[in-house]
Amino acid sequence: MNNSPLLKIEELRTYFYSRTKQAFIRSVDGVDLEVNKGDTLGIVGESGSGKSVSMLSIMGLIAARPGIITGQVWYQQEQARINLLAGLQDHVQVSKNDGRIMSVEKTDLAWQRRLEKNMLGIRGKEIAMIFQNPKSAMNPFFTIGHQIVENITRHTQYKSRKEAKERALYWLERVKIDSPQLRFYNYPYGLSGGMCQRAMIATALSSEAKLLIADEPTTGLDATIQARIADLLEELRAQTGVTIVLISHDMGVIGRLSNKIAVMYGGRVMESGPAQAVIDHADGKSHPYTEALLKSIPREDNMSSQGHLNSIDGEVLDTINVPRGCRFASRCQRINKSIEKMCLNEEPPLATVSDGHKIRCWHFAGV
Amino acid sequence: MTQYAQTQTTVSEYSELSILQRTDKRDIAYVVYGIVILLMVVCAYLMAIFGWLPHDPEEMQLELMLAGPGAPGHLLGTDFMGRDTLPRLILVIKAYFVPGLMYIAVAILLGGIFGILSGYYGNKYETVVTYITNIIDSFPRLILMLLVVAAFKPDIYYIMMVLGVTNAPLVSQLIKGKISMLRQKNFVESAIALGIPDARIIFKHILWFNCRSYLIIQATLGMGEAILLESALSYLGFGVQEPTPSWGNMVQQGANYLLQGQLWSSTIPAMAIMFTVLGFYLLGDGLNNMLEGKRQS
Amino acid sequence: MGDAILKVTDLKKHFIQGKGLMSFMQRQTIPAVDGVSFDVNTHETLGLVGESGCGKTTTGKLILKLSQPSSGNIVYDGIDIVPMSNREFRPMRSKIQMIFQDLDAALNPKMRIGQILGETIKIHNKHLDDSAVTARMYELLEMVNLKKNKLSNFPSELSGGEKRRVGIARTLSVNPKFIVADEPTSALDVSIQAQVINLMVDLQKQLGLSYLFITHDLRLMELVSHRVAVMYLGRIVEIGDAKKVAQHPRHPYTEILWSSLHVKQSAAALKVQQHNAKAGAAWDVFDFTEEDKGCRFAPRCPVFAEKGQPQACTQQSPTLQDCASGHKVACHFPL
Repeated sequence: MNNSPLLKIEELRTYFYSRTKQAFIRSVDGVDLEVNKGDTLGIVGESGSGKSVSMLSIMGLIAARPGIITGQVWYQQEQARINLLAGLQDHVQVSKNDGRIMSVEKTDLAWQRRLEKNMLGIRGKEIAMIFQNPKSAMNPFFTIGHQIVENITRHTQYKSRKEAKERALYWLERVKIDSPQLRFYNYPYGLSGGMCQRAMIATALSSEAKLLIADEPTTGLDATIQARIADLLEELRAQTGVTIVLISHDMGVIGRLSNKIAVMYGGRVMESGPAQAVIDHADGKSHPYTEALLKSIPREDNMSSQGHLNSIDGEVLDTINVPRGCRFASRCQRINKSIEKMCLNEEPPLATVSDGHKIRCWHFAGV
Repeated sequence: MTQYAQTQTTVSEYSELSILQRTDKRDIAYVVYGIVILLMVVCAYLMAIFGWLPHDPEEMQLELMLAGPGAPGHLLGTDFMGRDTLPRLILVIKAYFVPGLMYIAVAILLGGIFGILSGYYGNKYETVVTYITNIIDSFPRLILMLLVVAAFKPDIYYIMMVLGVTNAPLVSQLIKGKISMLRQKNFVESAIALGIPDARIIFKHILWFNCRSYLIIQATLGMGEAILLESALSYLGFGVQEPTPSWGNMVQQGANYLLQGQLWSSTIPAMAIMFTVLGFYLLGDGLNNMLEGKRQS
Repeated sequence: MGDAILKVTDLKKHFIQGKGLMSFMQRQTIPAVDGVSFDVNTHETLGLVGESGCGKTTTGKLILKLSQPSSGNIVYDGIDIVPMSNREFRPMRSKIQMIFQDLDAALNPKMRIGQILGETIKIHNKHLDDSAVTARMYELLEMVNLKKNKLSNFPSELSGGEKRRVGIARTLSVNPKFIVADEPTSALDVSIQAQVINLMVDLQKQLGLSYLFITHDLRLMELVSHRVAVMYLGRIVEIGDAKKVAQHPRHPYTEILWSSLHVKQSAAALKVQQHNAKAGAAWDVFDFTEEDKGCRFAPRCPVFAEKGQPQACTQQSPTLQDCASGHKVACHFPL
């Protein structure tokens, strides 16, 4: 019972309908992930890889029209295991071959209502989220304290205002905001970026959520502050045992905080596994995309002799006209004659390489 | 049952859809209706200019006073003096046409200058412009028109002039808002850095490329408003005076006979007002949605 | 390396900010840039690093005369551009260019790429006819590795990397010699970032450009720049050879900046955290309402705390002192 993962995502698909192009943008296209209790799962990928959208889908923060979601998201509560997306597939028509969404029922309101019902008691209470830009993610018209207190009274057993305020101050102290008594009455715009991010972490954790989704929590902050927010997250995880899903495009942050890593490209998980195994890219032991990502980090040993940085040629995948074969094929460096045909015509399966380490590449499919 | 079925696009490349393909059908209907009205207005104007009127507007047929539509020889009936309604409606368009254009020109010119001064140059200019526009805005329009009409003479040019001036703050607000939004995205700054002269930035980059649809929309909406206000004024008896016809005074004259059960001579010009104003409003609204895109909810 | 193409001496820009409702009563002067001096040599990349709000972007805009400095000199190629009027400066704009941080910002959203490029080409070469302009456009696109068919696109139809390339092509269209690159890659993905950086390095070699490279990404800075200037609250605290500054920082702030990159924080940085509960950004810690005469970094400085808050740091503002061949540091107690 305890061994089952806290969050298990199966075949999650999130499409957006583009009116100008009259086609679905396949932002998330069949994602399978598992998050165990106490883990920190780092999801890494370029912008447009669907890493944020997949997590927003789990939180039910994708509005129907133009967004549409199918798949299963199993969330392990104390007694029961529930599917956060239960019943949603009734409203969509899915292709029998590859499971992609073909069309959507007209009444997307029913879809939306169903989603809201599923999310009741989960969003905010069980799963909390922090966002990239803390200043715009917090309501500018309420004080920090008010927002935390509201969250506490709604989701925890501290129902009276006095108790809730005490609790809020405890959380503010916990995220190392100096003089929490004063900051309690501050508005978000009165705080600096780093401070505001701390306040948002406090708000998210104050509901005693089991799972914290952190969407690019350090992006846009200064280098010195970034390091501290990362340290804070690590510390909080160790102390409270909260499970964290960390989304970032920065391999550095991911490598520093997470013990499991999933690499996404073009709406698909390309590689997932224990952090050490994924980051260790020597001798072609990881997915070509992961390798390229790691090599493009500006670092002394990643420079070529002409003073060039390693780059991944080409552009990020067009998620409307998804190629038939491997999504990364057009930019892949390790594509060679022997497997070229496969790469271009058929999508590789997620093959298990070693314990828990899976790679979606024809190079590894035979293993 | 399907709301949006996946349309199959070729894997290679697809071209952007044209503006008509990606707008709501309702907006297209609006615009089409508006254009029909606009065409009718233009036709009427040409008819009035070249004198191709279906009937002599001045000829009185006392035996056919207050006739309803369909009376022999009078398609839309006659007024209380037995004059045919249709040619009089058409004549009004001729009287409105040039002053209407003038009103748009005044509003856009004045509003444009104000908007550029406050939005592009900012600071002191902004304060001065705000004062001026606030003063203009604080006068009730109808009263201001009454004052001008009383001081000079009840002429449609004066009325449209006043309308133009009083509409300038709105246009200026729009342009100012647009410019400050564009400045935030700092492509203006980059244009300055590239050494492009100010005048070129203002007229080409800002007004021509980014504000033209705004201005067109503003002009069409303003046209409808102008007709409405002028009619109100004429109805009160302060606008265009008899014997020159105006939709406002035609409604007013007909209204005297409403209680006697003579509905038509008042409602026909009233309907002309309604359909024309509605046409302009829908045209403006439809254009707005087509060109600027609906606000993302 | 050659001679200085740009010499900035004692550059100052003070913003006046009103506070609260009675804004005109209590004016507060914020010295965004406060006495910055540096020079950039020809064919050189000078990196300018610092936290957000330290005045690095403002410095870049001052050099382009997008805002007027409060005092100081900016000498480009022997000519002081500060006293020039905008009209006088316009012909020189083709020599000094800027790559803006925001990808969309620099491109008029309603103009096609061809129109955008064509216009800037024509502005500084009025005699060119249409075919020459088109030829030049193709040449520019080739320089930045863009396909020709992009000319008819609107900026919104391009990807981030393509937009950045168009931005670079546009700045190159006027044949500049000196480019201020304000965080050219901060909005891009890692893989695209490398493409753009490589392009900029190549162009520097091909066209003999000089860059002022503004960024907060230290890893990038270290690899791309020849020399680095570190800014803190409107002042340069350390300037010198990029490798030297990165490997042997002399100013405690530089030390903290670079150590924040490593997986484990250095002892010095950890000390700051322990001793100083004020974990906020620079501007929160520093109070500009009081007369500032000491070192601006003192409130966050580990050395200052270690040495028992010496008088020198609070009383006297440190000046840039040469400590080793061109490596200058502004600190009373350099590491």
